Amino acid sequence: MTFRTFIAATLLAGSSILAAPAGAQETYKVGISAGLTGYAATVDRAWRDGVELAAEAINARGGVMGRKIQVIVEDNRSEPQEAVTVYRKMLSSDGAQVFVSGCVSAGNFAAAGLLVRAKVPMMLCSILPQQPDQLKWAFSTLPPAGFEVEKRLEYLRDKTQIRKVGVLHDPTPYANLQKSVAEKVAAKYGIEIVAIEQYKQDDADLSVQISKMRSAGAGAVLKIGLGGSTLTAAKNIKQLGADMLLLTSLEDLAVFGPVAEVLGDKFFFVASPSQVYDALPEGPLKAEITKFLGPWKAKYGDRDPNWASRGWDGLMLTATAVETGKSFEGAAVRDAYEGIKGFQGTTGVYNFSPEVHQGITENPFVLATIVNGKIKVVQ
Amino acid sequence: MADFSYIPQVLVSGLGIGCVYGLIGIGFCVIYNASGIVNFAQGAFVMLGGMLTQGLLQRYGLPLLPAALVAIAIVALLGVVLERVVVRPLWDRKATMFTMILATLAAQIVIERVTLLVGGDQPKTLPMFTDLPPIQVSGVAVSYQLLWIVGSSLLAVAALAAFFRLTRTGKAMRACAINREAAALQGIPVSRMLAAAFAISAALGAMAGILITPTQYTAFNVGVPFAISGFIAAIVGGFGRPFGAFLGGLMLGLVQSLAILGFGAGLKTVAALSVLLLFLFIRPSGLLGAAK
Repeated sequence: MTFRTFIAATLLAGSSILAAPAGAQETYKVGISAGLTGYAATVDRAWRDGVELAAEAINARGGVMGRKIQVIVEDNRSEPQEAVTVYRKMLSSDGAQVFVSGCVSAGNFAAAGLLVRAKVPMMLCSILPQQPDQLKWAFSTLPPAGFEVEKRLEYLRDKTQIRKVGVLHDPTPYANLQKSVAEKVAAKYGIEIVAIEQYKQDDADLSVQISKMRSAGAGAVLKIGLGGSTLTAAKNIKQLGADMLLLTSLEDLAVFGPVAEVLGDKFFFVASPSQVYDALPEGPLKAEITKFLGPWKAKYGDRDPNWASRGWDGLMLTATAVETGKSFEGAAVRDAYEGIKGFQGTTGVYNFSPEVHQGITENPFVLATIVNGKIKVVQ
Repeated sequence: MADFSYIPQVLVSGLGIGCVYGLIGIGFCVIYNASGIVNFAQGAFVMLGGMLTQGLLQRYGLPLLPAALVAIAIVALLGVVLERVVVRPLWDRKATMFTMILATLAAQIVIERVTLLVGGDQPKTLPMFTDLPPIQVSGVAVSYQLLWIVGSSLLAVAALAAFFRLTRTGKAMRACAINREAAALQGIPVSRMLAAAFAISAALGAMAGILITPTQYTAFNVGVPFAISGFIAAIVGGFGRPFGAFLGGLMLGLVQSLAILGFGAGLKTVAALSVLLLFLFIRPSGLLGAAK
């Protein structure tokens, strides 16, 4: 026996020992493929923590249909190839019955075919795969890409004189999607897009792009994309002495503090309801967020709740689907997802149907700014 | 688009970032000259410069200048530690060059991960050194930070030139660059020169990181892109020629900025590298000619 086969044998023996007591008290196994490392780390770690928090809450009230939820997490390193490996592992050796997976869209696409063959549905953080047979088994908690753009255009139309804007985006699929929505709908808001510029996430300087926009007459920059580049854009706008507003897409709140310090009242960001909890009116949405935010704050303090709250929604929707379909079977859960209507989540109201697998159909976002260190909703 | 007033603006931006690439490029050359090693941990020095200064500023409330100086000193020290712990043992065992280069790459990854664990993954930044609106020179905005970057870089280059030309240690390092064995035979402690080289290039890297951070963000993972640009700068300048590397950096910064204008950011690096490749076809030994 070589050393390697010895290790393999030991691991096998070990896993069968671990698997043995599962029969005693059966659990409902939920798999998460998440980019715990790599570019999606911040977002996907939060998503995972949100799902786990929801699992604790559901288990505390006795589980779903008498079974406790068991969450299985694997790191896909934000890479599609790796995602296929971890999906396969969770399907075959862990026996995952449903997936509530993170925001690495390419990874979820790559594994979609695998899930179709296994008849296991997935509720995602990311955008949905495009192929009809794969789409059938995939659902998303993500609000449509247009919502983030429209909220910003709405603000510019209603509250400012600015009618010319530049779009600054990174090369990810999600950012490209938002960019094309912006091109399509801007006219509807009476706004002209005078420049579309791309940047790469690790660019050290964006002043070339911003100069170009300014000379094209743009009074505001719609920035689309995650990460520290928002800070770079803010710094560059200030360095150029440009009189422009910066309106950024959804992002971790921790990034915005320093940005607001740089640009002050010229900086606005799209926020999801859980990020502006204090400024929300009383109502079913706030009540739902309260259920989530209590345990979240107890465990993680001031950490940004946005992605975690959608992870929470993802698992809550799944539990609802199991209960309404009265089955743990993949096909039954899939059908039940499609029947969920008027589900009040922390991000908004979810309405699924056989045609609509992206459940949020009404714009849940607000536009916010930071005044004296406090978040203020402006639209 | 009739208004091309932004072109001088773009050149000014390119010049600023080019200075930073240049400083990093010099760092590569200094170590290469002393040892023949390409130090891929150079990016980590740049990142640490910004991150440490930010930490000292935020956590210990130091004013900017002392915080920056302390950060540079710490990073320089770290350069020496890197040399002692990672490079020297391999060097003494006569490891091949690529083993040592690989070891520096490993060190880069370790430093990056440790910074992630200690400092977290959120982007941070430094305040502008002089927080005033930019100076407008016939429609071109020149920010004070840009003046700081260019001024400090030129000062550093001048100081380095003086060091290599006028001091004994500097002369000894140059001797090592020309021929290590002969230098050793002359009684020059070659290994101490190696440590000094790591200290100098770490300090330069940190300085570059501190200068650029107020214009952008810093995080545990900003080092590698800078290292790549600095490496290119060093090659363009004629690897091993510190001042060539500085010129190479300026050139790279300008070409990159123009490439964004002409081809968009997606092709920025491709365009910049193509131009530089063409340049190297014409002048294979770099701007100032090869060092050896």
